[in-house]
Amino acid sequence: MAFIQAVIDGLLIGGVYAVISIGLTLVYGVMGIINFAQAEFLMIGMLVAWFAWAFLGLDPVLAAPLSFTVAFVIGWFVQGQLISRVLKAPSVAQIFLTVGLLIVIENSALLAFGSQFRSVTTWYQTISLSLGPLFVSVPYLIAFAMSLACGVALWWFMRTSWFGRAMRATAQNPGAAQLMGIDSALMYRIAFALGVGLTAFGGAVIMPYVTVYPGVGGQYVVLMFTVVVLGGLGSVAGAVAGGLAVGVIQALSALVFPIQLQNLVLFVVFILVLAVRPQGLVGASR
Amino acid sequence: MKRWIAFAIVVVVACLLPLALDPRGYWIRVLTFTLLFAAMAQAWNIIGGLANQTSLGHAAFFGIGAYTSTILLLKFGLSPWIGMVAGGVFGGVAAFIIAIPTMRLQGHYFALATLAFGEVMRVIANVWVSLTGGPGGTSIPFSPPSFANYSFKLLLPHTYIAIAALVITTLIFEWIQRGAMGYRLRAIKENPSAAEVIGIDTTRVKLQAAVISGALMAMLGTLYVQVAVFFDPDTVFSAAGISIRVALVAILGGIGTAIGPILGAFFIIPLEELMNEWFSSSAAGLSQLIFGLILIVVILWRPHGFVTVFRSLRAKFTGGTAR
Repeated sequence: MAFIQAVIDGLLIGGVYAVISIGLTLVYGVMGIINFAQAEFLMIGMLVAWFAWAFLGLDPVLAAPLSFTVAFVIGWFVQGQLISRVLKAPSVAQIFLTVGLLIVIENSALLAFGSQFRSVTTWYQTISLSLGPLFVSVPYLIAFAMSLACGVALWWFMRTSWFGRAMRATAQNPGAAQLMGIDSALMYRIAFALGVGLTAFGGAVIMPYVTVYPGVGGQYVVLMFTVVVLGGLGSVAGAVAGGLAVGVIQALSALVFPIQLQNLVLFVVFILVLAVRPQGLVGASR
Repeated sequence: MKRWIAFAIVVVVACLLPLALDPRGYWIRVLTFTLLFAAMAQAWNIIGGLANQTSLGHAAFFGIGAYTSTILLLKFGLSPWIGMVAGGVFGGVAAFIIAIPTMRLQGHYFALATLAFGEVMRVIANVWVSLTGGPGGTSIPFSPPSFANYSFKLLLPHTYIAIAALVITTLIFEWIQRGAMGYRLRAIKENPSAAEVIGIDTTRVKLQAAVISGALMAMLGTLYVQVAVFFDPDTVFSAAGISIRVALVAILGGIGTAIGPILGAFFIIPLEELMNEWFSSSAAGLSQLIFGLILIVVILWRPHGFVTVFRSLRAKFTGGTAR
């Protein structure tokens, strides 16, 4: 029974992992850059949700679109002013530009808001639904549902809208897409802004059960990379599968190992997947 | 020949410089750490610069060196000098073990895998309390001051050991770069498939570079904690504090060049110390913020590091071309 309970918890948390990691894989798929600062946008999303809750009395889950918008705007400028300059640079320049961004965002938050931990209180925070011997935590369920809605919206956008198709075309073949009249620089901007926006959205929906502080991104960095590498870097569908898998792995390893070793299991899985199947378990190429 | 004379002059000046500083002062400490970071960046430069494999996990080797010498001293009373050699061996072995599954990876993938490896080591060091002392940290025990005990009353001997370490790592870097291994690494960097075709065992060469780099980094870990005296798993296995900073020093100065890590370290480490001194009490985060901004500016303005500034200056004066 503990096993099934862990799988349920893992899937619910994993749904959120999928949404916060889709941005990472989207940006890589479209322009071949890994954004090491992606987790900082999670922190931005969490902070926006906290401020919306503290000053506007808004439920953090309802503040998620606001978090999305704030991160989208920041991402739009970051892509246009910074990332666009290193698209053709060696990978070491790309890596360290985003590492620089990570340091800047984290410490800007530290400088502006201090190092204290912030959490919200909501009426449903401690409620769980019981299904026979099993429990479903309401904040997990709400976060999962919001993530699902967000994922479906993204899927719909990528499938049916002109921008979605243009973005996929740019990912497949930038040169050919350009010849078809697609502004690839614009597509990159949309992809990056959308990617960090989704991560911030995920940050807002988890606020009912986590705490935000300037260094919180560090807790999610390797986790997000594990999700996208498991699913195949560049594959959005893979990130969803990877997110669910990571959630379940985390919940199951908590049954067997002490809490401090939870991340260790994840890291080892991560290195093994990179070593054995760097294209991801799902195996979709970009 | 001219290069060697210049090198000798720099070393002599470097040896005289600490004598000008207050032996109990703050700046000699900064100088010592700057020299050690330059040496670490030089060790990183072997794998990161010559082999073009951007490692974000060098803290793993650094921490192994730090803990090996300290544990051997605490539990067996062995001199840290022996501990340093043992740490170097363990560091090389660890580099070998992690290199086997990751050597085929390139660019971002290698960076990610090494980042995770560093984190694995940090978690293990935190959990394995009976060996490392756990998150509470470890102090270097007092031993009677003597060279054999690697224990000194003043900081000055540590500074000279750091100078020696920097000279040795730089010489090893130059020796690799100029030797057959350097040619092989350069061939791999330019075009891995072509290198394979002309008969270079690319995996083996990269493996050798990784092991040398890891072993040197571990030995420098011992030297570092002998100065720092107190440390815990989160500082010596720190991704931001060690892995990324060491790579940064090399990149800011000029990746793949012998002078790059030295330029980078003498620019960034004292600057960071100064900013911490000025801002840490008034505005936490400001010094790191400036640090990040400098990184972004340098990457965008001089993607190949400060060394290119000197090259273009020289080109301006001699009428040659900048490389």
